[in-house]
Amino acid sequence: MEDGDLRVVDLVKELVHRLLHPSPHSNPQNPNPSSSFSTQQQEEYNQALKYSLRILSSRMTLSIAADDSAMAESIKRRLATTGKSSEALAFADIYSKFSLKSGPGSVKNKWSVLYMLKTISDDRKVKQKTLSNRMPSTSAIVGGLPMLFDNLDLNSRDFSDSRARESLVKGWNGGVLMVDKDPENIRDMAYREYAVLIKEENEVSEEVLVRDVLYTCQGIDGKYIKFDEKVDAYVLPELIKVPRCTRIMVRKLCELGWLFRKVKGNITESMDRFPTEDVGTVGQAFCAALQDELSEYYKLLAVLETHAMNPIPLVSENASSGNYLSLRRLSVWFSEPIVKMRLMAVLVDSCKVLKGGAMAGAIHMHAQHGDPLVNDFMKKLLRRVCSPLFEMVRSWVLEGELEDIFGEFFVLSQPVKAESLWREGYRLHPAMLPSFISQSLARRILRTGKSINFLRVCCEDRGWAEAATESAAAAGTSTGRGGLGYGDTNALESLVTEAAKRIDKHLLDVMHKQYRFKEHCLAIKRYVLLGQGDFVQYLMDIVGPELSEPANTISTFKLAGLLESAVRSSNAQYDDPDILDRLRVKMMPHNKGDRGWDVFSLEYDARIPLNTIFTESVMSRYLRIFNFLWKLRRVEHALIGVWKTMKPNCVTSRFFTKLPGDVKSQLTSTSRKCQVLWDEMNHFVSNLQYYIMFEVLEVSWSNLSKELEVAKDLDDLLGAHEKYLCSIVEKALLGERSQNLNKTLFTLLDLILRFRSHADRLYEGISELQSRNTDTGSWLGEGRKDLTKRAGEFLRNMGQDIDATRKEYSSAFERFISQLPIQQHIDLKFLTFRLDFTEFYSQLRPNTDGKFW
Amino acid sequence: MPREIITLQVGQCGNQIGMEFWKQLCLEHGISKDGILEDFATQGGDRKDVFFYQADDQHYIPRALLMDLEPRVINGIQNGEYRNLYNHENVFIADHGGGAGNNWASGYHQGKQYEEDLMDMIDREADGSDSLEGFVLCHSIAGGTGSGMGSYLLETLNDRYSKKLVQTYSVFPNQNETSDVVVQPYNSLLTLKRLTLNADCVVVLDNTSLNRIAVERLHITTPTFAQTNSLVSTVMSASTTTLRYPGYMNNDLVGLLASLIPTPRCHFLMTGYTPLTVERQANVIRKTTVLDVMRRLLQTKNIMVSSCARTKEASQAKYISILNIIQGEVDPTQVHESLQRIRERKLVNFIEWGPASIQVALSRKSPYVQTAHRVSGLMLASHTGIRHLFSKCLSQYEKLRKRQAFLDNYRNHPMFADNDLTEFDESRDIIESLVDEYKACESPDYIKWGLEDPNNHLTGEGNATGTVEP
Repeated sequence: MEDGDLRVVDLVKELVHRLLHPSPHSNPQNPNPSSSFSTQQQEEYNQALKYSLRILSSRMTLSIAADDSAMAESIKRRLATTGKSSEALAFADIYSKFSLKSGPGSVKNKWSVLYMLKTISDDRKVKQKTLSNRMPSTSAIVGGLPMLFDNLDLNSRDFSDSRARESLVKGWNGGVLMVDKDPENIRDMAYREYAVLIKEENEVSEEVLVRDVLYTCQGIDGKYIKFDEKVDAYVLPELIKVPRCTRIMVRKLCELGWLFRKVKGNITESMDRFPTEDVGTVGQAFCAALQDELSEYYKLLAVLETHAMNPIPLVSENASSGNYLSLRRLSVWFSEPIVKMRLMAVLVDSCKVLKGGAMAGAIHMHAQHGDPLVNDFMKKLLRRVCSPLFEMVRSWVLEGELEDIFGEFFVLSQPVKAESLWREGYRLHPAMLPSFISQSLARRILRTGKSINFLRVCCEDRGWAEAATESAAAAGTSTGRGGLGYGDTNALESLVTEAAKRIDKHLLDVMHKQYRFKEHCLAIKRYVLLGQGDFVQYLMDIVGPELSEPANTISTFKLAGLLESAVRSSNAQYDDPDILDRLRVKMMPHNKGDRGWDVFSLEYDARIPLNTIFTESVMSRYLRIFNFLWKLRRVEHALIGVWKTMKPNCVTSRFFTKLPGDVKSQLTSTSRKCQVLWDEMNHFVSNLQYYIMFEVLEVSWSNLSKELEVAKDLDDLLGAHEKYLCSIVEKALLGERSQNLNKTLFTLLDLILRFRSHADRLYEGISELQSRNTDTGSWLGEGRKDLTKRAGEFLRNMGQDIDATRKEYSSAFERFISQLPIQQHIDLKFLTFRLDFTEFYSQLRPNTDGKFW
Repeated sequence: MPREIITLQVGQCGNQIGMEFWKQLCLEHGISKDGILEDFATQGGDRKDVFFYQADDQHYIPRALLMDLEPRVINGIQNGEYRNLYNHENVFIADHGGGAGNNWASGYHQGKQYEEDLMDMIDREADGSDSLEGFVLCHSIAGGTGSGMGSYLLETLNDRYSKKLVQTYSVFPNQNETSDVVVQPYNSLLTLKRLTLNADCVVVLDNTSLNRIAVERLHITTPTFAQTNSLVSTVMSASTTTLRYPGYMNNDLVGLLASLIPTPRCHFLMTGYTPLTVERQANVIRKTTVLDVMRRLLQTKNIMVSSCARTKEASQAKYISILNIIQGEVDPTQVHESLQRIRERKLVNFIEWGPASIQVALSRKSPYVQTAHRVSGLMLASHTGIRHLFSKCLSQYEKLRKRQAFLDNYRNHPMFADNDLTEFDESRDIIESLVDEYKACESPDYIKWGLEDPNNHLTGEGNATGTVEP
């Protein structure tokens, strides 16, 4: 052990010696340090030795694991990453040799060796930095290993001589300004030479040009640089001798002036127009915003101007390098204003003819820019420009006021009658709709304000103001002015949404509760669409005789009286008097020869504000439905009338047992024919009625009810009602596409009415026969033969008439049935299948070709 | 101008079912037992004036005439809870109070005897209405008063009010149990003749099936009259709902009946009702959709006319017409669907000589009556199967007649005096021809029935050729 210790100490001594003394002078064979060293050196040596021994005897351990291949890898990687791949290769080669060496004399702690070498290499770099900062006195490092790398072979790769080290030192300390007073400073020299050169070359000094440029930037001609109308630019006259690069620079800088001129000119122009012409509030806001922007610009110019006189605060003694502002510097200063000015010029150009929303929209188009500078600038500008617009939106949405003297808003109003206020009173003006407000939002805005106006004008309602206040509160914006701005699309949207929600709800409340929309719909369904059966029946009973008269002899007053008595005697009497009051008799314009049936109709006076929904055209469609249903009722009434004349106890008790056989069988045959035809007609009419009731009226009504429940605004309400009415018109075969079918249908109905008169005649004849029968007591006697003959003739004729009617009816019915499937647009399955429930007709058709018997 | 309907309740049975009917109407319209409108009955929409009129003191008074030859039932009414409901002037009880002794002839002739009194009452009531629609007669056809006096009234009404409708609710006797009225077949036959000739519409209420329904459907072992009568009143009130709750269609009796009765003589309607309940009887609540209701209405077990026909004949029986009155909250769109299902499954057999279909009338339910069922339905149908009921009446009559049994009671009355039994024969012929006409309706050639070739045995049964031979 002692041996080993001694050896280690010797080795350490040797190492210290070698490190402190460059190899060429040192003699490894002579380890005696004192012989060749000076005392100072001796001191250093002793210190270092002590230090190393202290380290070695300490118990410091490393924080990394001892893995020699990983260490080798790390070194290799380091070399490779610092761009020394060839050396890395060499290292790898050496390392492999090194690691293979084993046995006596070889290094045992290979990893430690590697680690030491790596540490020394790292240490060297750190030292470089500290060294360079502390300048030459390396010896000052306490206990360090000064300059130990200078001559270290291993580390010779970073720099080879002291010169390189010097340059490195300079690089760290240097800036643009040369603090170094090294006379070898070539750049400083070059600068000075350059300045002199420029002065010699230029006829006009840069200072003057700078001042000129500053002038032109305020739209004023400078000493040399003047505005040239011909080329429409500020130019430096050719005569003045300046270098080309200066000239180019001046021209570039003067663009700002040109742009300024343009912008300024435009502003003054529109400012002048303010009182007289319709620049519009948006235009004014635009001008104001530009002007603010310009005053910012003036400030900049003022600052620059003061700076123009000051020299550059050079650190170097010779201040002859020129004023603070050179053209080049100016171009740096101007880089931002010129972008802005350019933008302003473009805006001014593109917005010259525009106003209002269109202007805001146009400006908005330019705001879509990736450059954050431009973007910010445009946002700021737009906030200003749009504020009047947003103010309009706010007051429109919350107060329904259209403060738009200049026609800038995207909502246009038209003077219309109250009933068409909703439909035509206001519309969107697409040209004035800025693109940052979406179509749907615009529509919502339009509707909200419209709702307010509708409430105000048509409903005479004041409750909306509360709703508006509430919605403003809910949206979080004060109802005061200026709460909204560009870029706050969310705020705008939420305000509009809130306002729309509340106003629409209020409007619907008013429509439903105060004006009882649904009740009126129901009233129309009950009276105009004949839903109140008992009322219709009485009306039919009492106006029937009246309506058989020629149309021109009928008095509307009388009919109105009859209508009232029909109301009074039916359950309609319990209905709201307000509703009943609106029900009127209406006589349509009649032609010569028209009967009352052709012109009679019922009308419902919806009044303001419901006439927005029940407009004239809507009511005229209701009228058409009424006419159809009324006719259907009339036909049904006629058929029941026929049944009454041939009802069981009228017919069955009158057995003409005493009639001769042929007359009797003729009677039976004719009345049977009549009954069977009646049955067929009744089947048709009643099933048509069922169809109208179940499939048309009730289904449409239940759809309407459903839609009314979910309706959120008046437009939904209108839409629902429109759909309801359309579905009735279409399904009741009154639509455009059902014209042929409708014609056939009316032929059928007319035939049934004709049948009634035949049947009436037949049964009149029969009862006359009966009364004669009872009069004479028996069929014996004189008149019998004659009577029998006449009866036979009458019955035969009647039979023929009925046969003819039947034939006509059958072919018309056949036509009707065959036309039903053609009506693709509506579901007539139900009607078809009801009419042919027992497949009576479908079985008849193929065989008998439309003839039934 | 409501289309008023005057109800005539004749005889013991007629007054009993009539009373039940009025009870039911009062409940549905919210009218108290004294005829005063209840406080809660404020929901309008119903029409009370078809069946009631208002006295000066706002009392609602039924347009009802109570007639009997014996006082028992009517006295019961007049001493019961509803004694203040009726107009006392509208009650007729024969002075002697002896009844008709289950003899049709006695009832008929007493009717003739009291004609003036009876017609005075009827005329007064008719004058009190603006536009009288018609009369409804409630009676049974087996007893004495309802059948006999009812027959006489039918003939008289036919004479005097020929333009008005005459509808009857006629209770047919239970044929499964031996009746205490041995002359029931005679009475039935004679009444049937009047029902055929003098009524516009006869709603047949067959005691046989009313009992069967009570036993089978309602699980009552021995149904009382009150229980079967409540079935009847249910049917009666349901069949008038469309008149009392006006809607788009079927608002008058004439319109209702016209579609049901295309051939004048085949005016006997049978009824079906579902779901059936008897007062305060716990019942299983079943699913009630429109389709369910309509399908159940077509099941024979729910029909209040017994189908005693042989299976072969039953399969040939056809519906001439059907009207379903559906009450309750019904989505109109369901109607179409249900009809389509019924058609697809061919659940109904209709006549072939003309178009036909199931008619559906939707009606509101009274808001004042709580029922366990959301939807209920009544079927009124003209069905050829009803002829078997008449055939049975005929055959029972033939049996008695062959033995010349019990004819003495009839011979005591003028119509049958001097052993003149032509009335019986005539009635028999008329009923037979009625049966034949129903049978003819089952064939597609009904239109030609009874014409050109009188010798053609189209019906293939009996000697009938359709028209009545004297």
